[in-house]
Amino acid sequence: MKGSTIYRDGDHRWLVFARDPDRPDNIIDTNQCVVCVGGQTMLLDPGGMELFPAMLAALTQEVPADSISHLFLSHQDPDVSSSLPLWRRMCGANLEVLVPWMWTGFISHFDRDARMVKIPDEGTTVRLGGVALQILPAHYLHSPGCYVVYDPKARVLFSGDIGAALVPPEEADSLFVDDFNRHVAYMEGFHRRWMGSPQARDAWIGMVSRLDIDIMAPQHGKLFRGEDVRRFLDWFGGLEVGAGIGAMRQG
Amino acid sequence: MAEGARGVGERGGGVDALEARVSVLFGDTVKAFHAFTDLQELAENLRILSLNAELVAGRAGDAGRAVRALTQYTRELVNRLAQAQTDCAAVMHDSYRFAAAGLRFIHELRLMERTVAALERQGRSLEAVSAAQAGLMASMEETVLGMVDSVEALAAQARAVESVVSASDSIATNIAIEASGAGRHEPEFRTVAQTMRDYVGQLRDMTATAGTAVRRAQDEGRAVAAACRRAHG
Repeated sequence: MKGSTIYRDGDHRWLVFARDPDRPDNIIDTNQCVVCVGGQTMLLDPGGMELFPAMLAALTQEVPADSISHLFLSHQDPDVSSSLPLWRRMCGANLEVLVPWMWTGFISHFDRDARMVKIPDEGTTVRLGGVALQILPAHYLHSPGCYVVYDPKARVLFSGDIGAALVPPEEADSLFVDDFNRHVAYMEGFHRRWMGSPQARDAWIGMVSRLDIDIMAPQHGKLFRGEDVRRFLDWFGGLEVGAGIGAMRQG
Repeated sequence: MAEGARGVGERGGGVDALEARVSVLFGDTVKAFHAFTDLQELAENLRILSLNAELVAGRAGDAGRAVRALTQYTRELVNRLAQAQTDCAAVMHDSYRFAAAGLRFIHELRLMERTVAALERQGRSLEAVSAAQAGLMASMEETVLGMVDSVEALAAQARAVESVVSASDSIATNIAIEASGAGRHEPEFRTVAQTMRDYVGQLRDMTATAGTAVRRAQDEGRAVAAACRRAHG
C-alpha cells in the first residue's frame, strides 16, 4: 500500500492510502484518508482489520505513530471500522474515536474499550492542530447515520461512500478520475442501489454545493478533483436512487 | 516486550504456536468437562438405588437397620454429586468465556504479527506496535490465567467426586457385609451392593479421565501463562 499526498501546506497535509497490492480479491478495496496538522493526525475511515497491517506499515512511513490522535468513522460498516481495536491498542487510551451517535452501541461490538465521541445528528467541528475540520451530515447516503469531513483550508471533502466506485484493477493505476464519463460506469450501480433517498441526496448536494471543494475523496475508487467534483454532483443529482424493491430490476 | 509472540511458541511459529498451545489447553479442559457429562445420570441412578435399598431394608426389619442408615448417607452423597454437576456447569461457562476472549486476542495478535512482518519488509520496526503486542500478550496472559482458574475449579470438583467415590465404595462394602446377616434378604442386599459398586466403578473411571485431562490442562495453562508473561514482561 502506498500513501499519496493530495494536499500540503506546511505541516498541514492530506494523504490517501490505497491500492494495497497484497489485498486478497475477496476484500473490497478501500481508500484511507489521513489529515495531519500541528503534530496531530486524524484517520478518516481507517479501514477493516484485514487491512490494518499494510495500512499501519504504509502510514508510519509518512507520519509518526504517536501523532495519531483521532479516528473518524463515517458510518458503521466493517470496512470502515473493524480495525478500531487494533488502532486503539497501538495508539493508547487517549485516542479519540469520532463515531455517529447512532452507531456507538454497534461499533462497540468491535471494541468496547475505545473512547468514543458521539457525533450529533447535525455534525460538529473538530480542531486538529490549528485547523477546524467540519463534520457534516450525510444521513441515508448510504447509512442512516452517516457523515463526511470537510477541510475548508485545504478545500478537501472526504465523502465516505458518496462517489465510491468499484474500479477494475486494470483501470486503477491513477488515484484521480481522469475520464469522468468513463468512470460513471464504475459508480452508477452502487449509487442507484445503495443511496437511500432522493430527498437525502438533494439535501446533501445542496449543502456541499456551497463549499469550495478542490478535491472530493470517497472511501472506494478514484478521487475527484477540479471540475470533476461539479460533474459528480450534477450526475448524482440526476440519478434515480432510493428505488426500494424496484432496485432489483436495475441490477 | 521481552520476547514477543515468537517467544510463546518456543520452537517458533509465533501466534500459530500460541494458538496451538491454547487449543491444547482448551481441548483438555473440554475433555475434563466431557468426562463429567454423565454425572447427573449417575447421581440419579444412585438416588434410585438408595430408595430401592431403603425399601429392601424396611422389608428386612431389624436386619436392615444398618442398611437404612447407609442409604440415607448415600442420598447425602447424591446431593453432593448434584452440587458438583451444577458447579461444573458454571465452570464450563467461564471456560468458554475465557476461550472466546483468547480467540479474539489471538486474532488481534496475528494481525499485529502481520504488521511487524510488513514493517520488516520495509526494514523497520515500530515501538508502538511492540507496545501493542505487549498489551495484547498481557491480556492473553490474564485470559489464560482465567482458564487456569477454571481448571483449578474443575480439579476441586473432581476431588469432590473422588470423595463421593470413596464414601460410596465404603457404603457398598458395608451393605455387602450386612447382607451376610440378612437371612432371606441377603440376595437383595447383595444386588444393591453390587449395583452400587458398578456405579462407583463408573464414577472412578469418570474422575480418572477428568483428573488426567485436568492435570494436563493445569500444566499447559501455567506454562502458556508464563510464556505470555515472558513475552510482554
